[in-house]
Amino acid sequence: MEFAIISALNGVTYGLLLFMVSAGLTLIFGMMGVLNFAHASFYMLGAYVAYAVSSIFGFWTGLVVAPIVVGLVGMAVERFLLPRVHAHGHAHELLLTFGLALIIEELIKLFFGDFPVDYQMPADLRFSAFSIFGSDYPFYRLFIGGVAVVMFAVLWLLLTRTRTGIVVRAAERLPAMAEALGHNIPMVFMFVFGTGAALAGLAGAVAGAFYPTNPNMGLELGVIVFVVVVVGGLGSLKGSLLASLLIGLFSSFAVGLDWSLAGLFGLVGLGDWARSLGGLMTLKLSSVSATIPFALMLIVLLVRPAGLMGERN
Amino acid sequence: MRNISILVAILALAIAVPPFLGIAWQNALVNVLIASLFALAFNLLIGQAGLLSFGHAAYFGIGAFAALHLMIAIEDGLAFPTPLVPLAGAAAGLLVGIVAGYFATMRSGVYFALVTLAIAELFHSLAPHLQGLFGGESGVSSMRMPWQGIIFGSLIEVYYLTLGWVLTCGLALWAYTRTPFGRLTLALRDNEQRVQFLGYNAHAAKVIVFAVSAMASGVAGALLAISNETANYSLFATDVSAQVVLQTFVGGSTVFFGPVFGAAAFTLFAFLVSDLTRSWVFYQGLIFVLVMLYAPTGIGGVIAYHARHRRQLDWSRLAGPYALALVGGLLVAAGVVYLTETVAVLFGEGYAVRMRDAGGSLPRYDLFGVSWDPAGILTWLLPLILIGAGGAVLVRARRSIAGFWNRMGRTEALAAATPEPAGGTA
Repeated sequence: MEFAIISALNGVTYGLLLFMVSAGLTLIFGMMGVLNFAHASFYMLGAYVAYAVSSIFGFWTGLVVAPIVVGLVGMAVERFLLPRVHAHGHAHELLLTFGLALIIEELIKLFFGDFPVDYQMPADLRFSAFSIFGSDYPFYRLFIGGVAVVMFAVLWLLLTRTRTGIVVRAAERLPAMAEALGHNIPMVFMFVFGTGAALAGLAGAVAGAFYPTNPNMGLELGVIVFVVVVVGGLGSLKGSLLASLLIGLFSSFAVGLDWSLAGLFGLVGLGDWARSLGGLMTLKLSSVSATIPFALMLIVLLVRPAGLMGERN
Repeated sequence: MRNISILVAILALAIAVPPFLGIAWQNALVNVLIASLFALAFNLLIGQAGLLSFGHAAYFGIGAFAALHLMIAIEDGLAFPTPLVPLAGAAAGLLVGIVAGYFATMRSGVYFALVTLAIAELFHSLAPHLQGLFGGESGVSSMRMPWQGIIFGSLIEVYYLTLGWVLTCGLALWAYTRTPFGRLTLALRDNEQRVQFLGYNAHAAKVIVFAVSAMASGVAGALLAISNETANYSLFATDVSAQVVLQTFVGGSTVFFGPVFGAAAFTLFAFLVSDLTRSWVFYQGLIFVLVMLYAPTGIGGVIAYHARHRRQLDWSRLAGPYALALVGGLLVAAGVVYLTETVAVLFGEGYAVRMRDAGGSLPRYDLFGVSWDPAGILTWLLPLILIGAGGAVLVRARRSIAGFWNRMGRTEALAAATPEPAGGTA
């Protein structure tokens, strides 16, 4: 019981963090058809900018400045770099963002070194929210989740309840038509890209203070975020929320479970036979917890490429 | 004829020169050869079939492990000639390629890239846990066994073995693209629907291309295993997949042998520069992005373009602007390298320690054999001037080069508009 509740709490907060990053990625893909390989680098950039700013001006300033800086970087990428390769097709756009991801990672190594930096949450956030089964649950985890929930609410209201949201959704569905009606579509694209990047930057700034801030964090999260947007359905915001929670819960539960395929066969009396095969059969769920998301992504891509909630294939 | 004589010249150099080189260079050349074959195999997918794989490390790694297992068997007394060990890599690559390719090619575009990425990640995350197949985290090791008097003890023997395999496979891949089936994969890239309309099974064709590409990647992996005598799960890592993407596109994916330029350039670059600077991956990324932005066809594409128009080229008028562009490029590169290395020094750990010793003030530092003052104006003005001047020169050169090519394009369009005599170039 203790394991289940703690894991569920950790899983939900981690899932919400994943959602903060994947929201921007899926929004950008749905709109422009660009799978942004540099998106997780924006997340990492957010953490490092927040670290640099907060070491001088304090944590909260860092939290505000990081998304703005990262958002501006994102806008610059969309404005000055992507159009240059657009004519060569989506593959080249993907490759360009892939190169940018590499450059951002190396720049961060250049300025901050290969090792984790000491980016910490402020002391006044370092307290336990409540005590459960004799152990304290850190408030900051709830804070990460809270930021994500607020962000989702604002984004959802913005997209469904405002004029701007209508234009954005129109631009996503039929860009040419929206442009013919007099809306500045390139500007809309730029701002959506910037917003997506800023969200990733915010996620980095918030999460970097809790999880380690190192030059690998982009790559580590990046592959998981790809899994999330694919499972949720590329372009679907609700889908990526669902998939984020799913993957978050899964990864927090999996590390504590020692189920194996042999155990599964054991239920029908073939346990010994399966154990004698060894290899894949006896691998514990806890040790392959990094593998399952990719298997899930593969299955989704092959069976239902539109994902859980996606409309288009 | 001309192409063949160039090829023979390169081959003669590749055979004659290495015995006179040091071990380090021989090793670098072995790596160049392996990277070249891997990039050629990768380019079979993107350049021929238009499929962008982000997980080719999977087949490269599989080839390496298969070769090592065969080498272990030879060590234990199996009578199998050591020079044919890469066949194991080919077989394993082909098998895994057929299975993976069957699923991956069910999707196209971004989704194909994601499937291949997921497959490679599956291998990467499972391999450390599979003791028997991949030797856990420490990996699998073996020794090259002698065969028919060849001991494979010195690197030069490994070099010639690698050269032989890379040449055979490279030429085989090239020949493959000239077959009617190879042409069909080109058609698949351009218009898949139409290929289906013509009665071909598009999916089966794609699976075959994928499997051939995986097979050649497996050979490359096996050659690496022979040269290193060891492999572990890090061969499946994303950076291996990433490297081959970078090399292929910088080399040029539109020309068959283009990727070799990229593979050779980056591998030698890594060999020469990685001792001098920590930031060479940064330069690599920068080069890749610049190529993507300004020369999407890569080095090979640019060379092929000039070769195709060599009769119309008026070098007396072109040499000036090209030299100008070279000067501008060198100036900008010097500025960027200077800035990068300065940042690397000033933000490095060594400098932080010296700064603490100096009591918070900024001590002078040495770079490129000169002592610099970090607070001095000249220190920061120099790179700005270099980049500014170089940029201005580049813009000028670019304008005149573009003007030249445009004029030529117009005369070409004019020539195309006039009806050609029968029997002309078809």
